Amino acid sequence: MAKKRYEPPQQSIAGQTIDSLFLLALVFATLFAPLYLGLAGGGKTSLEFKDQTWAGWGQNPAMQAQWEKLGYTDGAKVVTKKEDGTEEVTGNATSAVDLVSSRFDYSFDPLWLAITALVVILYFYIVFHWSAKEYRDVIDEKFNNK
Amino acid sequence: MEGMNAFQMLEYAAWGISALLALWMLFDLTVTDRTYSEDLLTSSREGEIDDALVIDPPHQGGHK
Amino acid sequence: MSQTTTIHGEKISLLRVLGPGHVWALGVGIVLVGEYMGWNFAVGKGGMIAALIACWVAGLLYTCVAMIDSEVTSTVAAAGGQYAQAKHIVGPLMAFNVGLFLVFAYTMLEAANAITLGYLVQTVGTMAGFEGVHDKPFIVLTIVFLAWLNYRGVYATLTFNLVITAIAFVAILVLFTAVIGPWAIVELNHKDLITGLPYGWMGVIAALHFGLWYYLGIEGTTQAAEEVRSPARALPLGTMLGMITLLIAATMTWYICSGLMPWEYLGQAVTPLFDAARLTGSGPLMVLLFVGTIFSTLASANGCINDASRAWFSMGRDRYLPVVFGAVHPKYRTPYRSIVFLVPVALVFAYYAPLDQVITFSILSGLLGYTFMSINVMMFRRK
Repeated sequence: MAKKRYEPPQQSIAGQTIDSLFLLALVFATLFAPLYLGLAGGGKTSLEFKDQTWAGWGQNPAMQAQWEKLGYTDGAKVVTKKEDGTEEVTGNATSAVDLVSSRFDYSFDPLWLAITALVVILYFYIVFHWSAKEYRDVIDEKFNNK
Repeated sequence: MEGMNAFQMLEYAAWGISALLALWMLFDLTVTDRTYSEDLLTSSREGEIDDALVIDPPHQGGHK
Repeated sequence: MSQTTTIHGEKISLLRVLGPGHVWALGVGIVLVGEYMGWNFAVGKGGMIAALIACWVAGLLYTCVAMIDSEVTSTVAAAGGQYAQAKHIVGPLMAFNVGLFLVFAYTMLEAANAITLGYLVQTVGTMAGFEGVHDKPFIVLTIVFLAWLNYRGVYATLTFNLVITAIAFVAILVLFTAVIGPWAIVELNHKDLITGLPYGWMGVIAALHFGLWYYLGIEGTTQAAEEVRSPARALPLGTMLGMITLLIAATMTWYICSGLMPWEYLGQAVTPLFDAARLTGSGPLMVLLFVGTIFSTLASANGCINDASRAWFSMGRDRYLPVVFGAVHPKYRTPYRSIVFLVPVALVFAYYAPLDQVITFSILSGLLGYTFMSINVMMFRRK
């Protein structure tokens, strides 16, 4: 028996405008949520150096020459804490120490990795599964041969 | 604060041009929506490569 | 208020005016900014060698992406690109999800470009000795101006992209020519500057994250399917030529930068190619690479507006979103409502969100899209 062809209802312009604004709100919510929860971005650490010279930072003469061409110097940065709690660089502001000492922290929890992988796999499984069902419905309807 | 420097003028110019372009888009959007019927505006369908059906309303008297 | 009496069969569609050059400009235009800034974070993640491995592994993956697109597009050539592919091959729910990945990836990339452009103008202002210079007016101007250009027609938009993308690519070629060969104005020192893998193989995996940045967005060429004169020829040609361009540009960029800068600097630099030009000490090269940086950023934002609005438009047309978004401008023949609707989204993120997180959103949306594409092509071949 042939299925009745689905005729989508007409939606008023006002209704569509409301839907559009709602969508806009949803888009913002989805994208800003991870920002506010601090879920985006990774961890960083920094190396501690005893010897604050180019050699002490593990830079060879060729590297040192390029750092200097870029306008950087060696030596530790002098930072003073101001009364209101903020910090101010009072000496050796061109020191490359911040760049040289910065490292990423790649440690992770295998459990969370597994959970994340599971969520992604589950997500794709559900989407593909439902899509396949809807796809069959569309084909059935188009060719009227249920 | 003394008078504006060249860069501040550039900043104001950027704001001004942005506002003008945005207003122009909104204006044109409103006029277009009022001039043509919604059926015509949303008549595009996927996979219609046949150009014979597709006309260019402003050039072939499709509007008004 | 005058109403049109719609003659039966009278329709408006997107305008078929583009050639393979425009497709190339759309694909490469979005991505080339990645060589000017962003790819070098791969160096920070795992060192120079890791960045090169990432560049070539990602290059291999993206060549596959380009070939998948070329193959599937031969059957499904419609605005919306991967969204339309998902609709025809997998089903409605997947299509809706893929459509959203696309819009998010492109809109976030557009925001990232606008932030960068604002920052560059601000830097120039500061260097010129002005005080209290702001980046916000230029961020807003970039987004609004490019949206306006997109609103007014696809031909002018992508011809503009073709010109500025070509200039940005030539700038890399010129810089490369200037630092190799007997006439080299500066000596590249790969031997002393390249260190091993500072993080070991973990760093190589981490570097892949930004290795994608060398190519992310090339798949956007399929969005132009309804606007090229001959989709079956122009899309594969433009996409594959784009991929070749990017592989060349990416390898050259790595070669130049890794021979000029210590990895700790390169890995955190904002504008690595411009810094490379600075290190050559040549004034004209500095100007050229600065112009290249600005142009590549503009081209990328421009292409993103084009792609995001096409995806949004085709979802509206299919009633996955309110039908109003499926409208085509009768005079300019562009999806004008979608273009205008996405402007505030890009503006808000460019205005309030930090750059690295906006980039992460873009990469994440892109990755979800690629996962889909690989499953999609297998289903496509079975059908």
